[in-house]
Amino acid sequence: MTNVLAIDHVGYKHNFKTILHDVDLTLEPGKIVGLLGENGAGKTTLMRLITGGAKGSGTIAVCGDTQAAHHRSHVSFTEQLRGFSASTRVEQVASFYRTVYADFDGARFEELVTFLQIDTSLKIAALSKGMKEKVIIALTLARQVNLYLLDEPFSGIDSMSRKRIISSILKWKPADATMVISDHYVSEIAPILDEVVIVKDQTVYAHQAADDIRAEFGVGIERYYESLYEGSGQRD
Amino acid sequence: MKFDDKVPIYYQIKNYLYHEMITGQLKPGGKLPAVRQLAVDLTVNVNTVQRALGEMMTAGIITSQRGKGNFVTTETTRITQLKEKLVMEELERAYEQLHALNLTDDEIIVGLKQYIAQRGQRND
Repeated sequence: MTNVLAIDHVGYKHNFKTILHDVDLTLEPGKIVGLLGENGAGKTTLMRLITGGAKGSGTIAVCGDTQAAHHRSHVSFTEQLRGFSASTRVEQVASFYRTVYADFDGARFEELVTFLQIDTSLKIAALSKGMKEKVIIALTLARQVNLYLLDEPFSGIDSMSRKRIISSILKWKPADATMVISDHYVSEIAPILDEVVIVKDQTVYAHQAADDIRAEFGVGIERYYESLYEGSGQRD
Repeated sequence: MKFDDKVPIYYQIKNYLYHEMITGQLKPGGKLPAVRQLAVDLTVNVNTVQRALGEMMTAGIITSQRGKGNFVTTETTRITQLKEKLVMEELERAYEQLHALNLTDDEIIVGLKQYIAQRGQRND
């Protein structure tokens, strides 16, 4: 079984400042992975490196393919609807996706739109925070790929929207695809995670199975995550 | 369903389903919901559901029929045993906590009887 993602010794600098260094991370197919870290820890940068949207040192293989230009065809990542003007309607964004991505499944998108109660005639500028996240989820999950990246889909949204989004992930994530969800607040998504990856000190600081954390340490994911920050510098 | 984040989720899913069987929500020989449906209903990961079901299969509480799904065992003795086991676990937990408060066995029995009597009055 090929790993969905294999990151080997990856580093990234911006204006001579180290954002990430010595990142090693391997993800198997069919997992839901929580990417946790403080604001500014480098979670979004790591996602951009995976999609090929940012270039760093080291190698990143997606489905065994190390060529960054090929990654977009294996990875679905919708970064905050960047690149679309505020007056673009959701249905126009969807038709753009349909044109650009051969794996964009129109029928799946319609199912997601119905489930998430999205009005596709709305302009981007008219979307509330929760609705914008729902649109991003629908666009991201409508593609049929091996790796899905969601960048803080739950920040600042109401609990009803959050529950809908979580259900849509559980319903529509293909069984053998892996999904990475970044967040700086973990307790709301903890029950749906297979694994937890913690970004700290500009690198992947820990990578553990969620139920192993509970069984080994007898603590919740939130507590475990906080303890890594409290015990700064001490690692087992 | 609300999970305790300190306890492995697969273990809590197992206990939840055992509970459903013991209380008769899931009947002997009855079909379990599909794995993905269970995951959505309980808001947990598909793999975690699968792990829970795998252990239940090993324990002989459920059986898998290829292409049809998962079914509760028709051997009602197994479900009776399961109930006894869960009751024992609950008793053990309560017993140990009361012992930790320096209660003797007799005091535990007296205390429990009083508690049940008071509770009965409250429910009337």
